[in-house]
Amino acid sequence: MSPPRLSHSAALILKAISLGYCFGFDVMEITGLPSGTVYPALRRLERDELVESRWESEEDAFSSQRPARRYYQLTREGKAAALAATERYPLLARLLPEKHS
Amino acid sequence: MSTRQSLLPLFHRVVLRCVKNLVPVSERDEFLRSWHAELWHMNDCARRRRLSAIRLHLDLPLGVASDALWLRTHNLRRNLAGTPTLSIVSLLSLSLLSFAFAVLSYGGWHALGLYFTRQAEHCLVAVPIILFVSSAIASFSHVEVNSIRHTLRWINHLAFASLKTSLALLLMFLLSVCLSRPLYIPLPRAADLLQLLFFVLFALLAVRWSFHDQEQRCKQCLCSLATPARVGRPSHNLLEWTGTEQTCRQGHGRLSVPEIETSWHQYSRWIDQGSGLDPIASA
Repeated sequence: MSPPRLSHSAALILKAISLGYCFGFDVMEITGLPSGTVYPALRRLERDELVESRWESEEDAFSSQRPARRYYQLTREGKAAALAATERYPLLARLLPEKHS
Repeated sequence: MSTRQSLLPLFHRVVLRCVKNLVPVSERDEFLRSWHAELWHMNDCARRRRLSAIRLHLDLPLGVASDALWLRTHNLRRNLAGTPTLSIVSLLSLSLLSFAFAVLSYGGWHALGLYFTRQAEHCLVAVPIILFVSSAIASFSHVEVNSIRHTLRWINHLAFASLKTSLALLLMFLLSVCLSRPLYIPLPRAADLLQLLFFVLFALLAVRWSFHDQEQRCKQCLCSLATPARVGRPSHNLLEWTGTEQTCRQGHGRLSVPEIETSWHQYSRWIDQGSGLDPIASA
């Protein structure tokens, strides 16, 4: 099955997640997109099974003295879609730097 | 949740409290947990990197609200997709919209009322003929006659079909009135004739759609059938039946539609699954 065609914003968000920006605010900050775009887009990507989310363990969050984050990661279909999106929008790769954790 | 929320500034707590009612109850806790974490990180980041407080305060309520709205509309779409309620509400909304457009284009209630009473008489005469012709050429003769056994179900089925068809006819009438409007002032007689022609044409299509839609619905809950699957091979027609099977999303049953009418499978068959036979489908 061919990967779904994504809008520019969705492709940007998918690319950000593939580069290691894995929670909502992180994605919002690096892409510069408004929160009103990022959060519904993340929900849509999750509904379309391009990304999946998991909650950080409470222990890890507690040790860093912050609330647990909801982390997003690409699924296999999401990786294929991110690749296709990079081919469709070549500037995406240059827009976002890789995350140094 | 309240201790978690107390870590947030008052403004963010107020926004969350206002918006949370938009979110479906089943997803509310998860929504609040997600947004609590996100807002905490935003505030933390704003403190450390001195992000613009205006951006934070203007952008965030928008994000929280659009996320909540998305969840609400997604929930509605999931729950209402294919239901008879959605069908009736859609037809009713379209009819109201067409009516409003007709009122605007005819320049008020009075002018439209006069035109309506004259044309409605002609159209009411045409309706029984349209229904007769549509019934004669429709394929619902192929549905097994005793597929709806319970009286109550049969009444529901009939009531829904009648309401849907009536609304579809009303919508087509309003549409034909709107379409013939440009000719109304220069050529009033031609406009009347054109309106009637448009109505007959659209009404035939609408009634046909209504019959077809009725066939493609569950005989118990009246929701649209889903997941059509081809069964058998056309080349094996003498050995086994070929056709399409559609199932009810709630697991009430399935409809088998033969591709070619044969002596052993002449009609479409509704197969009742009975209650509790398919717990996976109804989950």
